[in-house]
Amino acid sequence: MARNLRAYRPLGGYILRQWPSLVLILVLTGVSSVASALQPWPLKLLVDYALGNEAVPEVVRWTLEVLSVGITPVVLIVVAACSSLGLFVLQSGLDVILSWSWTSAGQRMVFDLAADLFHRLQRLSFVFHIRQGIGESLSRLSGDTYCVYSLAHGLLVSPAHQILVMGSMGVVAWRLEPTLTAVTLITVPALAASAMFFGERLQRTSRFAREAETRLMGFVHQTLSAIPIVQAFGTRLLNRRTFQRLAADATVATQRGSLFKDVYGTVNGLALTMGTALVLFLGGKRVMAEAMSVGDLLVFLAYLRSWHDATQELLRTYGELRSVNASMNRVLEMLETPEEVREIPGAKPLTPRRPHSGRHLSMEGVSFGYEPGRPVLKGLSMEVMPGEMVAIVGPSGAGKSTLASLIPRFFDPWEGRVSMDGRDLRELKLSSVRSQVALVLQDPFLLPLTVAENIAYGRPDATMRQIEEAAKMAGAHEFILRLPRGYETVLSERGANLSGGEKKRLAIARAILRDAPVLVLDEPTSAVDARTEAEIMEALERLMQGRTTVVIAHRLSTIRRAHRIVVLQEGTVVESGTHQELLQRGGLYARLHTRQLLLIPQEGVA
Amino acid sequence: MKRWWLPMLGYALPHWKCLAYIAGLMFLSVGLEALVPWPLKVLVDSVLQGDPLPEKLRWLEELPAAGSPLGLVAWLAGATVLVYLLNQTSYTIRTYLEAGVGVRMAMDLGADLFDRLQRLSLRYHGRQMTGDLLRRVTHDTGCVKQLVLGVLLPLLHALASLVTLFLIMWNMDPPLAIMAMMVAPPLGLLIKLFARPMAERTYDQQQMEGQMMALAEQTLSALPAVQAFGREDYEESRFRQMSFRTLQAYLRAVASQLQFKVGVGGVLAVGTAVIMGIGGIHVVRESLSVGGLLVFLSYLASLYGPMTTLAYLTSGFAAAAGGARRVLEVMGQEEEIKDMPGCSPLPATGGKGREVRFERVTAGYEKDRPVLKEVSFETFPGQTVAVVGATGAGKSTLVSLIPRLLDPWEGRVTIDGVDIRQVSLESLRSQVAMVLQDPFLLPLSVAENISYGRPGASPQQVMEAAAAAGAHEFIQRLPQGYETVIGEGGASLSGGERQRISIARALLKDAPILIMDEPTSSLDAGTEATLVEALETLMAGRTTFIIAHRLSTVRRADRIVVLDEGRVVEMGTHEELLAKNGLYHRFYDLQFGKAASGHGTG
Repeated sequence: MARNLRAYRPLGGYILRQWPSLVLILVLTGVSSVASALQPWPLKLLVDYALGNEAVPEVVRWTLEVLSVGITPVVLIVVAACSSLGLFVLQSGLDVILSWSWTSAGQRMVFDLAADLFHRLQRLSFVFHIRQGIGESLSRLSGDTYCVYSLAHGLLVSPAHQILVMGSMGVVAWRLEPTLTAVTLITVPALAASAMFFGERLQRTSRFAREAETRLMGFVHQTLSAIPIVQAFGTRLLNRRTFQRLAADATVATQRGSLFKDVYGTVNGLALTMGTALVLFLGGKRVMAEAMSVGDLLVFLAYLRSWHDATQELLRTYGELRSVNASMNRVLEMLETPEEVREIPGAKPLTPRRPHSGRHLSMEGVSFGYEPGRPVLKGLSMEVMPGEMVAIVGPSGAGKSTLASLIPRFFDPWEGRVSMDGRDLRELKLSSVRSQVALVLQDPFLLPLTVAENIAYGRPDATMRQIEEAAKMAGAHEFILRLPRGYETVLSERGANLSGGEKKRLAIARAILRDAPVLVLDEPTSAVDARTEAEIMEALERLMQGRTTVVIAHRLSTIRRAHRIVVLQEGTVVESGTHQELLQRGGLYARLHTRQLLLIPQEGVA
Repeated sequence: MKRWWLPMLGYALPHWKCLAYIAGLMFLSVGLEALVPWPLKVLVDSVLQGDPLPEKLRWLEELPAAGSPLGLVAWLAGATVLVYLLNQTSYTIRTYLEAGVGVRMAMDLGADLFDRLQRLSLRYHGRQMTGDLLRRVTHDTGCVKQLVLGVLLPLLHALASLVTLFLIMWNMDPPLAIMAMMVAPPLGLLIKLFARPMAERTYDQQQMEGQMMALAEQTLSALPAVQAFGREDYEESRFRQMSFRTLQAYLRAVASQLQFKVGVGGVLAVGTAVIMGIGGIHVVRESLSVGGLLVFLSYLASLYGPMTTLAYLTSGFAAAAGGARRVLEVMGQEEEIKDMPGCSPLPATGGKGREVRFERVTAGYEKDRPVLKEVSFETFPGQTVAVVGATGAGKSTLVSLIPRLLDPWEGRVTIDGVDIRQVSLESLRSQVAMVLQDPFLLPLSVAENISYGRPGASPQQVMEAAAAAGAHEFIQRLPQGYETVIGEGGASLSGGERQRISIARALLKDAPILIMDEPTSSLDAGTEATLVEALETLMAGRTTFIIAHRLSTVRRADRIVVLDEGRVVEMGTHEELLAKNGLYHRFYDLQFGKAASGHGTG
């Protein structure tokens, strides 16, 4: 196996957690097999005792005496019919409890695993998800988590039972006919070879099948998430073809998986059947030589058959487990993906402070990028004083958003350190760092909750009044009231029922309500008209009082309000200072500034 | 939801040949199954106990070396292997065919569903959850497989064996045979009683699973907000809650299935017990021999086998119905925007752009909440129109009417005088290139993203478009240049870079109508300046609609349309509007008045 058994131990936990159900299942399975052994008994009662003349067994006699009923054939017939009904009731009662326990325990295992997987997925960075694709994660979450159920089912019931049957049948057969049994054992190496040969392939084909299905799912997901472009660019037919191609791949993979499974079964069966044929031949020879009776041969063959079935079943279970392996690996892979950002043991919380006193931020020699060998930030150092507002300026691709994402510790730098109030973020409790930062990102990332819930997302205990105040400050109150259900309107996915500027204002209201000492604003006013921008900037300015603010902006009107401007180029700070200082220096900032002003050449005239 | 299976069977039809093979193999295996005990029987009877071979098997002795008993034993041993092989081969071929045809049917249905989803309007998608739709396409479409392979074929098989066994019993004892069939009416009643609740509950369970998927999808898509605001635990508890509710739905579905199974088993057990009793009494009265009763009871058992199968198929049918309902809900969704019958393609024109006219257009996404109100204006071929207005004034809605991402409630939009609803969608959309606020890049290579609207474009053309959009340089710096797959490493594309790729994509489409919804909002001033120049060469000879907040972009337009709360309040050139001293002037003052004065003092 690709992993040794120890690697699956985490999955075992999910199974064992359902131990009460599992114990019940084991016990009931035992009871159920006893009950099914009783199945022919009513018929025997009918034929042998009611209709034949044999003595009625003690149990029945005693029961009837207690009930003071005489033993007549008609009574016995009724007893037979009733006991057949009684057995049915017993058997179906057991079946119901068994199916019920399997479903509930099995689903619980699956959902437990899925919830933990979801837990892990949420703690991985968004870059991980962009790279891996959300469709892929969803596929593992909804499809592959079933592996734990298959694992429990495969491991718990059959193997123990089959091995028991194999062992006992083997011993009995050995007692009866040691030579013939030995002959039968010739098949064992063949079976082992087949299990080795196909096990690997079964695992691989089922992995291919899962991957093909996942690719299809990823494709459907990405297309459905980009519907406006799909429609505007008229790629429907092209997408259909892609779907069909991916679907064909998935079909082939599934079909191959099914073929392998059957060929595996066939080969095992063939080996066993050839063993039987050999026994038949040798046994026949011995019967003819009168070294063995026909009856003995038949009995031996019957035992052989049970041994045969149990072996085949065991091999099938093995194959099944190998197939499930692909899914298990896909789940474990994700559960074991290291979080890029992890709390060290003994991390301390940041000492609390009033939001209006701000925090000291510093970056010292920070290098960071998303792919090895391609740093976005290169040895960057900067410092923001408590209560200071710093604007980050620079050409697109200079690393501005990346810099901003290091402040709430979405990532850890490759080199250097980011610190808050002089303490390295990595030594602090993650939740205490993030609770100090209110963030407005380029993409507003709204959730399909109500408007009020979206605004209170960073502060779930906020009162309606506080929510409204935040909305008012962000200039969102008016349009919210115009929505069909006001603050209780549920947003569409990604806020599709709002305009770009409206979404932005909700994101700002959310950050305002968060009331944190550090504000990180990544183009808070792009996609907003001039009037709204002015309103928002005013609101933000009030908010920024005493807080530490890092704002990324292109608009001069926003930049000019900053206490200090940091100019970024290709991942390093090239200039820093006030607007005036930078203009006088005549560097990159001055050039950017002139270029923007050049865009409005007739300004003076108007 | 009556007759939901009819459209589903349509997906089985193209595969009828394959399905016929499967059915054939199914019946063949019944015959082969019957051969299994024969070699042993011949061995025991004829070879070991010395009975003569039965008439029909005499030919066995003609086989080489079969004359001697040992030779015959060898042949029979060989026959065991052969019968096994035949049996297993037919089984393998059948499952192989089933696996293929099953997935293929589900995928055909999936492709159609996917196709339908892409045709449904933005309005529809705005109301749906992507995760749920995803599950419908990838999971629920399995219903057709379940219906055909899990219900239909076993039904045929069970019916065939039922008829055969009934005929055998009829030959033995007509009255008892009739009595054996007495269980049919109560079984029918059970099916009638349980079919609906089983289907309903399966549907509920699948709905819940769809919602779980949707929750996961939504959370992962908004992950930066979730992490930044520290709400991971909250989302997780929502997920756990939802999975608990899914479990409940699951158990409810299982409960009704179990009740049904117990019911079916009960009816059959009572049937057996009654016949046992009656038969026993017959034996006591000596009108039936014990052996006769035993034989009859064994046939009864084999008759009830297929009957149980038949009844159980109901629950398979119900499970398929749940998935089918979720699929058909989407399939049955009326396309709001579609080709009118008998529409003609929009005639192509050479290079000079097109005349676009809005005539008293009212439109919106939700009933009674129009976003645009009686908007009228026109553009001439080759003109650039800037749309200006406050956030939420309806600018994006206005431009989305042109490629018919949305249809107006009232009024009409015409291109060269033709109502765009009267031309084919494909021809209309091929005339329009768009740059949207959200760049919507797909996880394809950069080159594929740029040629998204024109898949046949040469690398040269792709590069030219990228260069015109100011994207060539940074693309070359990517690890694999134009072949870099966005997403896998696309994370390091900044907002401005993504936007430039989306502009290149629109440029390469080279359509006579160009729509740009804030093409430069996340670009820095330097990039914007170079880009605006590039865009200007591009806009020459095209009808261009541009939404922008930066007046630097707006003022170059041939005409500016000022929107306020869904109405056109002003229209004209930059100079005209400034002179008018209205809303536009106020915008202008807000943006430049301060900037200009600030610059003056700085």
